[in-house]
Amino acid sequence: MDGFRLEKPRRDALMPGGALRDREGRTRQLPRYFFEIDSWNAALDYELAPHFHLWEFIQTDVRESGALRIFPRYVPCAVSLTATMLERFREAVGEPVRIAANGGYRSPQHELTSHASTHCWASAVNIYRIGDEYLDTRERIERYAEVAREALPGAWIRPAGEDRGFSDDHLHLDFGYVVAVPHDAPGDPFNPKLEADPL
Amino acid sequence: MTIPSALNRDRAQSLPSDLDALRQRIEVTARKSGARAVAVALHDIESGTELHYEADRWFHGASTIKVAILLAVYGEIDRGRLVPQSRVHVRNRFLSAYDGSPFRVLADRDADSEVHAAIGKTMRISELALHMIATSSNLATNLLLDLIGLETVQRTIDHFGLKGLDVRRGVEDEKAYEHGIVNRVTANGLVALLRLIAEERAYTPELSREMLDILHQQEFKKGIPARLPREVRVAHKTGDISTVAHDAGVVYPPQRKPYVVAILTEWAADAGSRSPTIAAISHAVYDELRGAKAVPNGA
Repeated sequence: MDGFRLEKPRRDALMPGGALRDREGRTRQLPRYFFEIDSWNAALDYELAPHFHLWEFIQTDVRESGALRIFPRYVPCAVSLTATMLERFREAVGEPVRIAANGGYRSPQHELTSHASTHCWASAVNIYRIGDEYLDTRERIERYAEVAREALPGAWIRPAGEDRGFSDDHLHLDFGYVVAVPHDAPGDPFNPKLEADPL
Repeated sequence: MTIPSALNRDRAQSLPSDLDALRQRIEVTARKSGARAVAVALHDIESGTELHYEADRWFHGASTIKVAILLAVYGEIDRGRLVPQSRVHVRNRFLSAYDGSPFRVLADRDADSEVHAAIGKTMRISELALHMIATSSNLATNLLLDLIGLETVQRTIDHFGLKGLDVRRGVEDEKAYEHGIVNRVTANGLVALLRLIAEERAYTPELSREMLDILHQQEFKKGIPARLPREVRVAHKTGDISTVAHDAGVVYPPQRKPYVVAILTEWAADAGSRSPTIAAISHAVYDELRGAKAVPNGA
């Protein structure tokens, strides 16, 4: 689904193709293309990877924009790449990997979204439990972070700790500002300025 | 607000001597119990009778403050900002009211394991409200407080003009406690709060009844209901930490309108007989008011 074609309330909440500033003030462009999910049952059924279905990535709470808490729901297409990466992580740990509520995709309007959170790109996840272990101690978070570093070169992992920018009750895996554009997407109009100065 | 009938007003006028007897029974019970302090506030909706025994003395509120949080949550429902079915992320991480540092609710100190079992998932606001009151879940309490904010609770208290309620932090915020940030209540404050709900003046009659329904599902029954006849229903909230034991609720004897009572007690940390003292005072109140039931007009 091209986010530009959505009706206004959802477009305002999803901000397709819009921009967010990161903590350093750099502009990051939001995804424009989304999976459209008709119902919770559809989310339960939709397999992104052998052990990850779509529902895990769209579990949000009352802090999400009201327009996005009703079906059809939308999640950026990059979620399929994130699920593939998580599948690889799951193979490395050999246990079920659980994504927390509010820990998959969050819209720019979600109350927990601050700056250019990669959750708005569906390219970050908060994992609160692996197998029977809750990731609520420094030792557990660091142990699984090490596994993630080995299994997923290039992934960014939030360091364990209590201060701002750290995490103490989950493992935050982050694949950066990934934007997935489907082959049949209409694309953007030619921009001569970009052509002249692509960097 | 219930307006006492003429006969009940006559009855209310004749009550001071009865209340003297009740006051004496409370004094004797309090003295024998060894409690450091006892306070009782009573409002009988049937007759308008009131009793205030040390009722403006401040106590550590313990879990009785959860009724104020319930009222504030329903205020958000009344304003349309929340619905009971709204889902909340169950996460055991909160920020101290003292300095914003993170703290957690210890699972082994919480009476309710069901909410802890949902960590990482979501629960409905209605479920959290029920756990906060019926099993006094500290985790559910902090989740709701985190959602609506302390300022909303205080605004709600101010909106209804309630005195004797001071909610300043979440539950188990040890750092705030060490720095003197304490949730406090008076017996009068709790009775005023519960009267709002019992008399269906809290937002709408429907929302008041929903809150009452939650209070009716209280699972800790060693206080106010313990020595009352089985047919007496009680919608109440207990509060129990090492140095205080409280119970405050709406008591529904059969064939008459309810009364609202708050019994607050303070103890040495190792003291026993806390619940039996509350139960004895509750029984004395019930005994005294039993004769104050409504007399039908023309009888």
